[in-house]
Amino acid sequence: MAEPAYTVASDSETTGEEKSSSTFSETAIGIDIGTSQCSVAVWNGSQVELLKNTRNQKMMRSYVTFKDENPSGGVSSQLSNEQDMLSGAAIFNMKRLIGRVDTDPVVHSSKSLPFLVQTLGIGVRPLIAALVNNVWRSTTPEEVVAIVLVELKAMAEIQLKRPIKNVVLTIPASFSRFQLTRIERACAMAGLHVLRLMPEPTAVALLYAQQNTSQNTNTGSEKIALIFNMGAGYCDVAVTATAGGVSQIKALAGSAIGGEDLLQNMMRHLLPDSESLLTSHGLDDIKSVGLLRVAAQDTIHSLSSQTTVQVDVDLGNGTKICKVVDRGEFEEINQDVFDKCASLIIQCLHDAKVDTEDVSDVIVVGGCSYIPKIKSLVKSTCKKQELYKGMNPLEAAVSGAALEGAVASGLSDPFGNLDLLTIQVTPLAIGIRADGNNFVPIIPRSTTMPAQKDLIFTTAHDNQAEALIIVYEGEGKKVEENHLLGYFKITGIPLAPKGVPEIRVILDIDASSVLRVLAGVLMPGSHQPVNPVMGVRMPTVDDGHGWCAEALNRAYGSTLDLVTVHKKI
Amino acid sequence: MSVSAVSISQFSLPKAFQVEDHFTTISKPIWRWRRQGSPASRIRCGKREAGEMLATSMGKNYYELLGVSVDSNAQKIKRAYRNLQKKYHPDVAGQEGHEYTLKLNEAYKVLMRENLRKEYDASIGEMRGNYSSSSLGRTSSWNGPLRPQGLFVDENACIGCRECVHHASSTFIFDEALGCARVKLQYGDDEQKIEVSVDSCPVNCIHWVEKEELPVLEFLIQPQPKEGFGIFGGGWEKSANVFMAAKSFNKQTHNENHGRNSRASTVEEEETPAQAKARADASRKINMEAASGLFSRFWQWQNKPFWGEKVE
Repeated sequence: MAEPAYTVASDSETTGEEKSSSTFSETAIGIDIGTSQCSVAVWNGSQVELLKNTRNQKMMRSYVTFKDENPSGGVSSQLSNEQDMLSGAAIFNMKRLIGRVDTDPVVHSSKSLPFLVQTLGIGVRPLIAALVNNVWRSTTPEEVVAIVLVELKAMAEIQLKRPIKNVVLTIPASFSRFQLTRIERACAMAGLHVLRLMPEPTAVALLYAQQNTSQNTNTGSEKIALIFNMGAGYCDVAVTATAGGVSQIKALAGSAIGGEDLLQNMMRHLLPDSESLLTSHGLDDIKSVGLLRVAAQDTIHSLSSQTTVQVDVDLGNGTKICKVVDRGEFEEINQDVFDKCASLIIQCLHDAKVDTEDVSDVIVVGGCSYIPKIKSLVKSTCKKQELYKGMNPLEAAVSGAALEGAVASGLSDPFGNLDLLTIQVTPLAIGIRADGNNFVPIIPRSTTMPAQKDLIFTTAHDNQAEALIIVYEGEGKKVEENHLLGYFKITGIPLAPKGVPEIRVILDIDASSVLRVLAGVLMPGSHQPVNPVMGVRMPTVDDGHGWCAEALNRAYGSTLDLVTVHKKI
Repeated sequence: MSVSAVSISQFSLPKAFQVEDHFTTISKPIWRWRRQGSPASRIRCGKREAGEMLATSMGKNYYELLGVSVDSNAQKIKRAYRNLQKKYHPDVAGQEGHEYTLKLNEAYKVLMRENLRKEYDASIGEMRGNYSSSSLGRTSSWNGPLRPQGLFVDENACIGCRECVHHASSTFIFDEALGCARVKLQYGDDEQKIEVSVDSCPVNCIHWVEKEELPVLEFLIQPQPKEGFGIFGGGWEKSANVFMAAKSFNKQTHNENHGRNSRASTVEEEETPAQAKARADASRKINMEAASGLFSRFWQWQNKPFWGEKVE
């Protein structure tokens, strides 16, 4: 096969790495950068090892404190987290905010965090700022994530005694491709090259595949597992079929619900008008919210092991909370969240075309896996008595990412411990706008990657010479319910009555999940495109993408519309 | 994020812009940016192979692609799919594996869903029909999955009585131009009707033949263009004994696979004069086809045992 016609290096890249003689030195590391905690793991030649920071922690908090000139993250610095939280100087939960615009409900629910999240509601990125010396210093989610990554990178470089470049990062399944570009941007800012972005449950699935090959050398038997991963920010579900070290993902489902929602519900439960605390963002307000937050967090943690908790907190603004909360109350106020979790499991099983009796193992991981209700809910939805016990719930995802890092770096293991492969699927459907304001999926959800699909469209008007290809990702029927990825115009369509020109749109996703959209015009009776084909790597949208679609609509209306052609069979 | 217009001369186009037939062609490599540091940029044992596999996978049907038989169950298909994925997935083989994996994924998706597989099974029959209609127009297609045996009408013996067409009208067709019957759709009618129609033939020219034999026979029974010398000769001719011709054709190709150089001597050893004539006929045709490029295409879909061997 011919070499690619040309190569474009990414801007942050140097080419020295390929000369490296030892393959081992370029083994990609696995990083799990969670909403609240982050960790690093690497294949050390015989097994996966989690790296510890100077305080001997494997799990580090994903927050950044802005003080004086230099921001410092939770990886390296010895800080009293609670105190920082009360002063408004610590920024955290950025994984929930990265790549989201200020009309997004998830951004709005983050406004109760003890720092500044300002929204204007016009579809641009929210303003995020930390209080430094009584000044709101602005930052971005990318910057915060990059600072954490830089610290993780530095920590790994010291311990592994080599420069770190390639990483496999775990991401929530529900991330849009635009959000992924933001994560890649943060990595580039930190001087890291993203080898793979792995949805968290699929990383767990790879670890499961490895555990199964080492336990059972009979490669013929297939095992189906359901993986439920719920952390502070996101909840993801995957169904995987595993045999002989190959983890074949059957379906993925995910949503931006997590421990943070449980926490906010608990805060509201403790103090019904807790939202109004932060209206002016004064120093005292921040302190009160911080205290309430800590109290709510402690309550939830205690309720995992106890059935009742006595909450006793003075918010410092004259409000004192003295309340007994029991587990039943906790489960009741979070009913919506738990219902959503169950619906994700059902949806995932449905997409995978798997019945609960076919599932051999149910794996529950992530920070929320310690909550009794979560465990019982997953068990009852999957109709299982027991959960899989072979994994550390907090370390599973990062371990899987390290395995994928080793496999994708070309390492092999004499004992066959790296004889693994993960076959991924698309978490969301991708398609274009057509037939009015409808979203027409071209690659459906849970399609095996790499994938290439095409669909034929045609003009909506007589003598239409141009057409807009507007690419979306998501599950909604209408385009507004989906994430905009990009757009371009096809020009030079030969003048013809509507419905005659064939506009063929091809979507191509490679194994590293890079999406390309190709579009060309064919006239009936010809197999050659009329004009050069357009090929666009997506997403092309940048900041402010929330109002791009609206602007396009205002400028062109329906004049450049497309309609689907139903293929004759 | 980059935007560019791709001209035809610079890049190969994706399949959809090139060929209509979805089943016969593998997609051509799309142009792509190479990711730095991705496995594509390194030398791998799997990399070269993947390219080769792609080249040899041209024109294969899904069963051949996965190296499984048409009657394989889901478990077999799954195992074959995973084994191939482990070799050619881009994680292992680098970017080179992309196109091949795409094809694998498509094949797997279709064969693992009962309704899609049924449709596909019907369509490979049709595809064979279409293939020939575009080039020769005279081979049968299959209704439903391939079976071990198929029907073949020896057109040389057929007297044009139309009995078979009368009894099994979906299976047989009458060629008015040549005045003989032919199979258009294998198992187009139910078994009873087919049996009656076979028995009804007064000259017993309807034969049950092995599936593997069928394409060769159907190919050789067709009138072939005859080389002409000036105003003499030329036109079309059929082989007089198609079964003999097929036998030597198979022997010929068999020998070609095993000992290319020794083929003439080994064949001659056990030949009767009739066989020699048939062989000469067949080999002349083969040479002719090879010259016109038809043979190579024919060979591609006709029989494919190498696939499996190569994979293991």
